[in-house]
Amino acid sequence: MADIAVDIPAPRASFFARHRRALLGLLAVAVFLAAWQAVFLVVPFNPLFVTKPSLMLAGLLDMIETGELVDALLASGTPFCLGLAAAAVVGVAVGIVMGWRTRVGYALDPLLTVFYASPLVALAPLVVVFFGVGTGAKTMIVFLLAVFPFIFNACAGTRAVDRLLIDVVRSLGGRERDLYVKVIVPSVLPYIVAAARIAVGRALIGVLVGEFFAASEGIGYAIARFGDLFALDRMFACILVIMIIAIALTEGIRWAERVAFPWRVGQ
Amino acid sequence: MSKIDALPSDIVAADRAAAAPGRSLWRRYEATILGAGSIVLLLAVWEALPRLVTLSAGTKLFFTTPSHVVGTLWSMFATGSIWAPLGVSAGAFALGLGIAIVVALPLGVLLGRSATLSALFDPFITAFNATPRLVFLPLVMLWFGLGLWSKVVIVFIGALFPLLINTYEGVRNADKLLINVVRSFGADEWAVARLVVVPNALPYIMVGLRLAVGRAILGVVVAEFFGSTEGLGVVMVRAASSYHVDVVFAGLIVFAALSLAMTAMVKLVEDRLQRWRPQHAND
Repeated sequence: MADIAVDIPAPRASFFARHRRALLGLLAVAVFLAAWQAVFLVVPFNPLFVTKPSLMLAGLLDMIETGELVDALLASGTPFCLGLAAAAVVGVAVGIVMGWRTRVGYALDPLLTVFYASPLVALAPLVVVFFGVGTGAKTMIVFLLAVFPFIFNACAGTRAVDRLLIDVVRSLGGRERDLYVKVIVPSVLPYIVAAARIAVGRALIGVLVGEFFAASEGIGYAIARFGDLFALDRMFACILVIMIIAIALTEGIRWAERVAFPWRVGQ
Repeated sequence: MSKIDALPSDIVAADRAAAAPGRSLWRRYEATILGAGSIVLLLAVWEALPRLVTLSAGTKLFFTTPSHVVGTLWSMFATGSIWAPLGVSAGAFALGLGIAIVVALPLGVLLGRSATLSALFDPFITAFNATPRLVFLPLVMLWFGLGLWSKVVIVFIGALFPLLINTYEGVRNADKLLINVVRSFGADEWAVARLVVVPNALPYIMVGLRLAVGRAILGVVVAEFFGSTEGLGVVMVRAASSYHVDVVFAGLIVFAALSLAMTAMVKLVEDRLQRWRPQHAND
């Protein structure tokens, strides 16, 4: 929903007119936080049930100071990165072959569609039983959830490759390998970046599911534990951290898409 | 929705249409034969695996075969033991999705029609849409307890955003010329919404609904895994912790079948609603 209807700035437009959308957004967030803080002047405050922005901030600073937050983020970040990287490598390879070799596509498409449509999160208990509590199981869940967007987008991207370019490479004596490296990969790349945006969201879900279900460390585990302890200030602080990370990753990739593939914007 | 998020079925459909008529039988049904073949092959290998390889006692504990899963699924339906948990899950699903639709559609139209309101809501929508809703689960459980309502809330926040964002996009893409025409004939904002904006947004809303159905089912599963006392997800978790792997797979199949069936239903309605259009709106 970002970047819409920002009118082309007239030379004499005021600062407010030019940044109207962003300013209104900031205002809304500020009003929301102020109202949240102020409402407890009227309503009795029960720290076992809700928290205030001020307490949340204090909890956050405290966790940063003790190093608790960094430890939790590292414990969650390792399986997140490993699983996502494995999903990207495997998914893109499978997807390109599926898109390029029509028969492989015919053979794998229905099978993978069934997997993609089923709530694979439901396999989390099984994965945990199989791989044990820890990085292994979490990485596996992340991989399972994140691999399908890569497969389907790489496949769609490969099929969208310009046949003319392929014929040109062929008639100039290019080999199969040249086709992959010089034609297919560059035109598939925008699809893969789009897949990464979807996969990042699913990978985050994977980490959280793994940690809610069975873990002894990590940010998801911290949220569940602070919930059990009724430490709502810290729980909200952890939720805030995840929100910020999720926004940074998703919007970061969106920004990269706009910068790297400007011709795709608007599709 | 960007075109990049292509659905696998669309890709296959395009390929099938491209196949010229009058080819040999194998050529015509190649896609179906290969597609079904790979699934059958996978199932056969899975079924044969314990007969060919001796599994260690530990692995046997959480290993099952397709025939075993089908048998379990059959007996769950035959004895009727599946209906009670399935009903609980379906109730939470329907309630959450229903509330999401009731909230998202009017709000989406409102935000699409007012630049100020959409600017005010934009940071919240972007933030909540980027964040996995799962993160709120412990909080929701704390606030709503272990019963029906925490599930409904999780389903609701999962299904809300695809619906809201797609409605908003559909409203914003309404033809300005048509709106001006209707206005010149004296229509108020209500009539503009009814005559131009909502019909234009319908295809977008249906795409949002398709996404929302998937998210809602995911929400039910996850909510029942971590904070619930009844429902199909609870049955699956209990089965997993007592090594009844066949029950876990049977539950997965039921959820997947429901997800596929409902997505297909929405797709049907989507096609029906598009019939009057000269061409598909998202082309």
